[in-house]
Amino acid sequence: MSNDVQEWRQYLCRACGLIYDEEKGDPDSGLAPGTRFEDIPDDWECPLCGVTKTDFELFEKPLVIAVEQTANFSTEPGIVVVGAGLAGWAAVDAIRQLDQQVPVTLVSACSGDLYHKPELSVAISRGLDKAALIQETGVAAVKRLGVQLMAETFVVGVTPELHQLRTTRGSLTYTKLVLAQGAKPVLPDQLPPDLCWRVNDLACWSGMQQALAKGPQSIAIVGAGMIGCEIAEDFVRAGHQVTLLDRNTSPLAGLLPLQASKRLADSLSGLGVTYIGNDEISGITALDNDQKQIQFKSGTTLEFDQVLAATGLITDDRIARHAGLDFDRGITVDADTLQTSQADIYALGDCINIEGTPCRFIEPIKHQAKTIAHAVLDLEACVYQHSAPVVRLKTRSLPVVMNGLPLAGVDWTLVYEDADELIMEQRLDKQVIAQLKVGASAHNRAA
Amino acid sequence: MNSVAVSSITAPWTDDAKVLADVGLIAREQLAPAARRIDEGYYPLDIMASLGQAGAYAGHLDQHGSRYGLAISAMSEISRHCGATGFMTWAHDVCGLYMEQSGNPALLARLQDHTAGLTFGGTGLSNPMKALTGIEKMALKAKKVPGGYSVTGTLPWVSHIAPGQYCGAIAAVDRDDGSRSHEIMFLLDLDERVQLRACPEFSGMEGTSTWAVPLVDYFVSEDQMIADPARPYIQRIRGAFVLLQVGIAAGVIQGSIDSIREAEPTLGHVNQYLHNRPDELQAEFDELAGRAMVLAETPFDGSKDFFLDVLDVRCQGAELSLKASQSALLHQGAKGYLMNSAPQRRIREAHFVAIVTPAIKHLRWEMAKLMREEVPA
Repeated sequence: MSNDVQEWRQYLCRACGLIYDEEKGDPDSGLAPGTRFEDIPDDWECPLCGVTKTDFELFEKPLVIAVEQTANFSTEPGIVVVGAGLAGWAAVDAIRQLDQQVPVTLVSACSGDLYHKPELSVAISRGLDKAALIQETGVAAVKRLGVQLMAETFVVGVTPELHQLRTTRGSLTYTKLVLAQGAKPVLPDQLPPDLCWRVNDLACWSGMQQALAKGPQSIAIVGAGMIGCEIAEDFVRAGHQVTLLDRNTSPLAGLLPLQASKRLADSLSGLGVTYIGNDEISGITALDNDQKQIQFKSGTTLEFDQVLAATGLITDDRIARHAGLDFDRGITVDADTLQTSQADIYALGDCINIEGTPCRFIEPIKHQAKTIAHAVLDLEACVYQHSAPVVRLKTRSLPVVMNGLPLAGVDWTLVYEDADELIMEQRLDKQVIAQLKVGASAHNRAA
Repeated sequence: MNSVAVSSITAPWTDDAKVLADVGLIAREQLAPAARRIDEGYYPLDIMASLGQAGAYAGHLDQHGSRYGLAISAMSEISRHCGATGFMTWAHDVCGLYMEQSGNPALLARLQDHTAGLTFGGTGLSNPMKALTGIEKMALKAKKVPGGYSVTGTLPWVSHIAPGQYCGAIAAVDRDDGSRSHEIMFLLDLDERVQLRACPEFSGMEGTSTWAVPLVDYFVSEDQMIADPARPYIQRIRGAFVLLQVGIAAGVIQGSIDSIREAEPTLGHVNQYLHNRPDELQAEFDELAGRAMVLAETPFDGSKDFFLDVLDVRCQGAELSLKASQSALLHQGAKGYLMNSAPQRRIREAHFVAIVTPAIKHLRWEMAKLMREEVPA
């Protein structure tokens, strides 16, 4: 190819960012339009900063991925909601049901797309991907609701005296602040974040889903709690080879009495899940073949294609610390009003602690949102009534349902037992405080 | 390593209040009248020498008790009357920090004169700081040679330097196959081997003696070495580096509030209709300064949260500088628009605070990067 037909190129000054365009040349320093870079004399200097040719490099336009923003930064932010998960959207929705005019700004560390988070733990076996899970994009939802969204934006600081919220896209002055920041996965030091998937949000889940879509793989799930058990069943149903790892002898040992835990173990085993208990992970390393090697304290090592950590959730305390909010494993809120220890700041969802206990369930969120909406709009109080939510394990092979709040150390009494079903109760002072149902008998199912 | 060196110095600047009073006096009596001249191009080494004698460049050094709060307050007093000199004070301070934290006896031997304002040096870390976090490419390349390194490349804009002075610099060391091996950090002596090149004219702060520094096979000896490899060292000092910059912003903000208050007796009846009134600005500034002073207690805290807090105050300082300086001009009206008025100069100083590395956009970019959860590739 001759030089004449070769496209004009551009060269970037590494020192100051000036672009030399071959088509335009640099007439001021005697380079006619059309002067090829290689034809520029060696003593030529950057017209802006004076460096020479050797400090230039070929410039190829980078693909700039900017996040679509619906926030108009000159508009009053009004009520600011932090977090665009189920809780944040529920709060925005509840506010809009009561007031269609008040300015509302939603600040989200992710894209703000709406999806139903509990689906994440059953979506792989249903062949779903990110697009299928998104019910409505964040951009569409803010247009529908008439609010502003600051997407891919992190909160870095709060100063309650000034009603000031500082973010990675600038500072906002809020009238009322609603925290729905959620909880994030806890990763013990032995589980490096660059080697272990988590499934607490759609973006991270989607990365893992894409990795698994390449074909059947061996997967280690670390932690046999609720999420770990649900995911184990999901993955094994999708055709993957699943190993569930936990410190305890059987799954969900922290929540379930031994008989129930054993039934769950049998059920998972029947599906093809390998359970390895009574051992702790001492480290994970990436191997040259892209597999991850897990080292155990017992000395054993095992290799897997993927590792997923389901080791529990924790509420990040950064915002609370900055704002001087009372915090105890979650942002402490008043049980009736859901106000934090600071005026004009409320919190709901996974990030809160009600009467000393974090509450990470879906069901209470809409009630919490309603209470907060009334409060931030200065309407007559709508008192929140907290009750222990029903816990349902989404294990299709063996449904597990827990009513009430079981206490560690209180004995479980057997209520009913057959081959397919187990019902147990915890009693304290003759009061039933928790009831557990594992499986469903043929008789009950038919009924 | 850090604080063992040079115990023979008897620190003369032990009393914080006296240092601040002396620095404040020089700033009011010498800097303030010279501020316009400095803005236009006068490099005030004479006044900077006096500031050094008063202890303006000592507070943050281990040798002088690691009093970061004092260093920031002194810088703020200077910047309150001349932002350009406030900026050079920061450059001078971090250059001292590099020398001290290097633990290199040859550099420690030079530190005392530097601290006292007998010799001067700045910092050429704008490009490397951006390069190390992935914003742009490293401008200087180093090759290992017997007894040291040979460095080539051009640093575009380095302030507070002149022939016979020095600055901190970082160069990348590449392997034969072109991949990056590591980086080195060194004190670049601007001796006869370096021909400083003039920069295009800036809209303000022209007295900061800012030059392009072209290097061709510049030999870096062991005596000049600050850190090899540089990354762990930068990781350790980056919080202190950024935190000290808050002093520049603090002075611009407080100076702007001073200008607003000056106009109150004559213009208060109309100024009441403006946004960003002095009490409101002062309240935000005091809260910000309070947070900076808490961070100044532990400048080498290596945690992610600490660095985020530092970036947060630095960013807020830049934002508030912009807001306060604009408000000052509006409050002073035509008087503030005069070419020799402080408010119009501070508008440009505030914009400098907002764009100098790390600029507001870099700060937000870096904070977002730190806050994003790491996931498997």
